[in-house]
Amino acid sequence: MKLLERMAVLATGRVARLFGLGMAAAVAATMGSVAPASAHGEKSQQAFLRMRTLNWYDVKWSKTSLNVNESMVLSGKVHVFSAWPQAVANPKSSFLNAGEPGPVLVRTAQFIGEQFAPRSVSLEVGKDYAFQIDLKARRAGRWHVHAQINVEGGGPIIGPGQWIEIKGDMADFKDPVTLLDGTTVDLETYGIDRIYAWHFPWMIAAAAWILYWFFKKGIIASYLRVSEGKEDEQIGDDDRRVGAIVLAVTILATIIGYAVTNSTFPRTIPLQAGLQKPLTPITEEGTVGVGTKIVTADLKGGVYKVPGRELTVQVKITNKTDEPLKLGEYTAAGLRFLNPDVFTTKPEFPDYLLADRGLSTDPTPIAPGETKTIEIKVQDARWDIERLSDLAYDTDSQIGGLLFFFGPSGKRYATEIGGPVIPKFVAGDMP
Amino acid sequence: MSTSKSGGAIGPFHSVAEAAGCVKTSDWLILTLLFLAVLGGYHIHFMLTAGDWDFWVDWKDRRMWPTVIPILGVTFAAAAQAFLWENFRLPFGATFAVLGLLIGEWINRYVNFWGWTYFPISLVFPSALVVPALWLDIILLLSGSYVITAVVGALGWGLLFYPNNWPAIAAFHQATEQHGQLMSLADLIGLHFVRTSMPEYIRMVERGTLRTFGKDVVPVAAFFSGFVSMLVYFLWWFVGKWYSTTKVITKI
Repeated sequence: MKLLERMAVLATGRVARLFGLGMAAAVAATMGSVAPASAHGEKSQQAFLRMRTLNWYDVKWSKTSLNVNESMVLSGKVHVFSAWPQAVANPKSSFLNAGEPGPVLVRTAQFIGEQFAPRSVSLEVGKDYAFQIDLKARRAGRWHVHAQINVEGGGPIIGPGQWIEIKGDMADFKDPVTLLDGTTVDLETYGIDRIYAWHFPWMIAAAAWILYWFFKKGIIASYLRVSEGKEDEQIGDDDRRVGAIVLAVTILATIIGYAVTNSTFPRTIPLQAGLQKPLTPITEEGTVGVGTKIVTADLKGGVYKVPGRELTVQVKITNKTDEPLKLGEYTAAGLRFLNPDVFTTKPEFPDYLLADRGLSTDPTPIAPGETKTIEIKVQDARWDIERLSDLAYDTDSQIGGLLFFFGPSGKRYATEIGGPVIPKFVAGDMP
Repeated sequence: MSTSKSGGAIGPFHSVAEAAGCVKTSDWLILTLLFLAVLGGYHIHFMLTAGDWDFWVDWKDRRMWPTVIPILGVTFAAAAQAFLWENFRLPFGATFAVLGLLIGEWINRYVNFWGWTYFPISLVFPSALVVPALWLDIILLLSGSYVITAVVGALGWGLLFYPNNWPAIAAFHQATEQHGQLMSLADLIGLHFVRTSMPEYIRMVERGTLRTFGKDVVPVAAFFSGFVSMLVYFLWWFVGKWYSTTKVITKI
């Protein structure tokens, strides 16, 4: 009885007001510094992992500003690094994905090479694959959109990202899909009414069942009956009769629901799952998997200055082409370091990942048939901002990436480099 | 408690009517607090164990989903039944727990999955569980025996799960051709509405070795699920019996 009295005291208006005030303060405290989350943690991934797993290149966003319902294409190529790190599972089961903050753009299709790839695929190390993700604007706002490949046992490996501006109202968004029987449905809303119509009446029935017993028997009264040894009086024949009727109606409704559904949807298929067939890698010239046979690069060592954001490597290059080549670009972890001697105009690429004057090297071209060791210097704040300088603190302190060479004909030749480099932790000239 | 036919003071109350009102208010408080406690506990348990199978339409297959969900769901249903039946002889424990779970899930799906992240409800609706819960409660009511409820009730709990969910999911198992490939609408919803941290390969669907039953795998999965649910029911009945308490009411 004391508890009841205490409960009665607690239920006074003063306590309720204080409770309301506390709740309002708690809500205000959590809302005070709300800011939209826009990045995907790509910088938090270890540097060696980003440099030596998937090397993204030729990544393009067909549009950076579009209206709701408008389509765009995110495309590019990815090289699966030959010296894939042991710390990450091989990409035997991988999934091409879009990195975006929720479904702000829907993915209407995606392809690896010519193959439609809605499910997981197997990638081979040392090979290059072209990818394409078809996207359709859904939610207004400014969003950072990446290409991404998830690797089973390795996690998401994020490619370069671009800000995409979407204008309009999501309420106008339509996502029509044609079924095998020729019917067209809007995937955005299809089937939702049916879900509500099946779920909520049953929840009301559940509440009715509980309240029936609650009002008829009560909680405390039921407890007293049971504790006094009168549990047999608690449930009578009438109660069992009610239960039997409810059970019969429930089973009948389930059978009818099942039968009506089967007649409404006579042809259904199970979920489609499993690894897709092997993919076809790229075989065209200018891609890394092909280029490595024409131009070879062997990392002979290097150092990078942690405070100076500078990487210097010696690379032995063999030019097996029939034209002199100049090194134009080093790319790693989505960042592009360009040689301004080769790239006289700034290419279209997200600025935070593009160091258009970030690479310098011997300006003398490598002659056809020549083997030559060149020094390549990569220096830009982005090396640090994108946390590649954290390589010194990684368990596998080896760099990776792609080198792109260009000849007078305009042809591009690509090759990969990788290997250990030594950090220099103090400021000063490089050795 | 002393009573007064004349309607005079009894105990701390001024009248019988006031005492009855206080009992009713306490009933509501107990019911509400108990409901919220069960909702919270069951919801966390279910999210951590059933998780993705319950979250996504493209995980609701005919093999793993009807196996996993009933087995993991019968837990709190059995414990709530033990508490409400042993102490109160009230036959709504399973329905009570399931309604709490579903209300919690629907709030979560609507506010979080749709309201914050804009995943359509067709991608994220929860599994329906009310029919199996009513079955479980009424078997306990009619038999008065937790053993019969474990054997008959838990088996039915597993068997009723898929047919009770079919009206909600069947539409998403219609077929569509996408670039020369067959996909169900559920697969396509999963592809269209991008989940950055949900790669396709982590879907645990259509896995297992029950291939000899061809397309009729649901009944096999349901029987297996019902059988394991029996064992889980026993265990969780005793969890409910041993770890629940009515001390607070005893003090009244």
